[in-house]
Amino acid sequence: MKRVLLGHAAIATLMAVAACNGGDKGATADSASGSEPQVTSGAATGTASTSGARIAVAHAGPPGEWQMPAGDYASSRYSELASITPQNVANLRVSWAFSTGVLRGHEGQPLVVGNTMYVVTPYPNVSYAIDLAQTGQPLKWKFRPDNSQQAIGRACCDVVNRGAAYADGKIFYNLLDGHTVAIDAVTGNQVWRTKMGDLSRGETITMAPIVVKGKVIVGSSGGEMGVRGWIAALDAATGKEVWRAYNIGPDKDVKVGPKFKPFYAQDRGKDLGATSWPGSTWKTGGGAVWGWLSYDPALNLIYHGTSNPGPWNENQRTGDNKWTASILARDADTGEMVWALQVTPHDMWDYDAVNENILVDLPIKGQMRKVLVHFDRNGFAYTIDRATGEILLAEPFVPMNWSTGIDMATGRPNVVETKKTAQDKNVKDICPSLEGGKNQQPAAFSPQTGLFYVPTNNLCMDFQARAVTYIAGTPFIGGNAPEKGGPGGYRGEFIAWDATTGKKIWGIKEQYPVWGGALATAGGVVFYGTLDGWFKAVDARSGKVLWQFKVGSGVVGNPVTYTGPDGKQYVAIYAGIGGDMGLLIAGDVAANLPYDVRERGTTLPDIARWTSWGGELFVFSL
Amino acid sequence: MLRRLPQHLLILLLSISCSSQGSRETAGAAADTTSLKTDSTSTAGANTATSNYFVAGDSLRIIEHPENLPAGFPLQIKPLPVKNPYEGDKGAIANGAKLFVGYNCLDCHGADGSGAMGPSFQDGRWHFGGSPGDVFESIYQGRPDGMPAWGGRISNDQIWILTAYVRSLASKDLSTENFTGKTVERTGH
Repeated sequence: MKRVLLGHAAIATLMAVAACNGGDKGATADSASGSEPQVTSGAATGTASTSGARIAVAHAGPPGEWQMPAGDYASSRYSELASITPQNVANLRVSWAFSTGVLRGHEGQPLVVGNTMYVVTPYPNVSYAIDLAQTGQPLKWKFRPDNSQQAIGRACCDVVNRGAAYADGKIFYNLLDGHTVAIDAVTGNQVWRTKMGDLSRGETITMAPIVVKGKVIVGSSGGEMGVRGWIAALDAATGKEVWRAYNIGPDKDVKVGPKFKPFYAQDRGKDLGATSWPGSTWKTGGGAVWGWLSYDPALNLIYHGTSNPGPWNENQRTGDNKWTASILARDADTGEMVWALQVTPHDMWDYDAVNENILVDLPIKGQMRKVLVHFDRNGFAYTIDRATGEILLAEPFVPMNWSTGIDMATGRPNVVETKKTAQDKNVKDICPSLEGGKNQQPAAFSPQTGLFYVPTNNLCMDFQARAVTYIAGTPFIGGNAPEKGGPGGYRGEFIAWDATTGKKIWGIKEQYPVWGGALATAGGVVFYGTLDGWFKAVDARSGKVLWQFKVGSGVVGNPVTYTGPDGKQYVAIYAGIGGDMGLLIAGDVAANLPYDVRERGTTLPDIARWTSWGGELFVFSL
Repeated sequence: MLRRLPQHLLILLLSISCSSQGSRETAGAAADTTSLKTDSTSTAGANTATSNYFVAGDSLRIIEHPENLPAGFPLQIKPLPVKNPYEGDKGAIANGAKLFVGYNCLDCHGADGSGAMGPSFQDGRWHFGGSPGDVFESIYQGRPDGMPAWGGRISNDQIWILTAYVRSLASKDLSTENFTGKTVERTGH
């Protein structure tokens, strides 16, 4: 997954470099410019070609509701609501706000079903049902789950929760301690609670489930804890496990059988999930499913990514390490693998492939193609045939230097020798950093413009791998990776991307990595939030920032939009800095822990000036 | 060494429960602490004395109704100092640094204990107490929010060595952050 440990030596090096460049630069500029790693490829810029682009699956429920994490199975985060436009968005005002009562990183997003909004907090994963039809937005219910406190210290990258899914009158979500719960949407009563992860082996759950044909699909976190990654389906009515597929190990466990038809030759063969590892190292090899899920009803395929292999130290796991750092397509009824694409074979940079897979139909080289668009941690934006797993196009969407491009005959990245990490070596200036060109912050797609709206990071790292022993319940990492700003003097950028050509159309540079997700609307306005707490509305075509509001804490959540009982369009966003970037990298942004007063991180040493912990929902309207 | 800990813990617990008596405790503390009025004439069966004092740590406590205590409860307790045989021992601290990496402490608590998934050790602030005994207990029995219990998995001797190392990291005063200067810097006082 993702995390950074900063040694004194690394800090000293960064400070020394900064001093050479002139010590009294502005606070925001100097940390981004320290030493600019050489970059071999960056995002090219072009113009959009959009004819006929469409989202593969319709919005879930009425257009004015938000029933599943991304609004639809396609993970588009697009809404047909169009009352808020570039012409009137300047009049957007806070309508109401709600404190969740919980600090830490508020990734994810609320749901809106009928006149009720559902909010799930970071650990302890309290959920609220908020009555939108009454003035003052009183609660209908509040649910406080039984959730082991041990989970706090077993989660690598803050105690986040990426949201719930609604189906059949129930709210489904995951608890950090490895349980999945179903809550009656009307009463708030727990319908069932099923243990899915083993906390003693470092399995926590942070991801948002989706519900497909009466089954709740979930996976676990723990790529830094030596877990053996899996994805599973539970019966939505009873909570009973229907199927579970591991992502590493023998074919039987991985559910590789007659249906498996990977596009590339190197992915065909028996038990590759075990034989591409030395000995039995696959048993603690990571490949967790902590990111977003998509579903194509026409193909009946679930799409998910898998995390980094464990440990980070590549020397302990020679081989391709299948199916870590991969995009996998599975039969929704049985979990059987239908195709697999390992985007980063033998990952040695912590490039998880768990980012969202957005299902759209796009005109490519004059032909409409059913594709999946994926912005990977490794810095490549992939346009993939979602029926077969063939890469149609893969271009860098952020500055990168670890690879010169994708070999289209094999689908494998061409790796730059000098950027390969190795045990007991300090490999310098690798871009992107282990946080990736993009991390969990989900992109959005608008069929109106044919563009993807992508929150990105611009960071680089040094990578120091070392030998590590597997001890159950402790991290299985074996590496430090101090980070710094990437080339260009900015650390994040919100970009518009044309996935038919692999070109960036426009970008808004940010001082900090953009760790919050995007929302596209039919009104032609795109929304996103920043780590320093600005919630912004942008013209979908031009990229012009039309409006911004400073919310109570840094934004790592994802905006949603809905129609209120009064018929007006509302936009909702969580404030609440945290997650890997907010909690670990930024260092000390907390104020309520007198027993833990950390030094600020070197990656974002100035973030604490602009924001501190909070947990609050903000709702805006005209 | 370890056998002394339960008693130490008991004293700690007692002082916590007593401190809820607030100001009365302060009045008691006004007594001459060097010549304690101590009644340790507990008889077999029950404690019958009406007013007793004992020392817990460095403060004076009053037991109002010793007759409610179980028979044989020692009314005078000399605190047993918990001493780490390796405290400040440079060789042991260097070994502790190696154990810190070897047992994966580093990947939770950060390089040099700078803080990551788990709390920082550099700030001189302690979630569960920072005395050698406190730190030993945190490592030995684990802590409720995810710290694993190492007692029985590694030797008590190694736990003391780790304790010496962890305590040696607490060096930085991070009380004040001043953001107004041109450069970002943190100042102590």
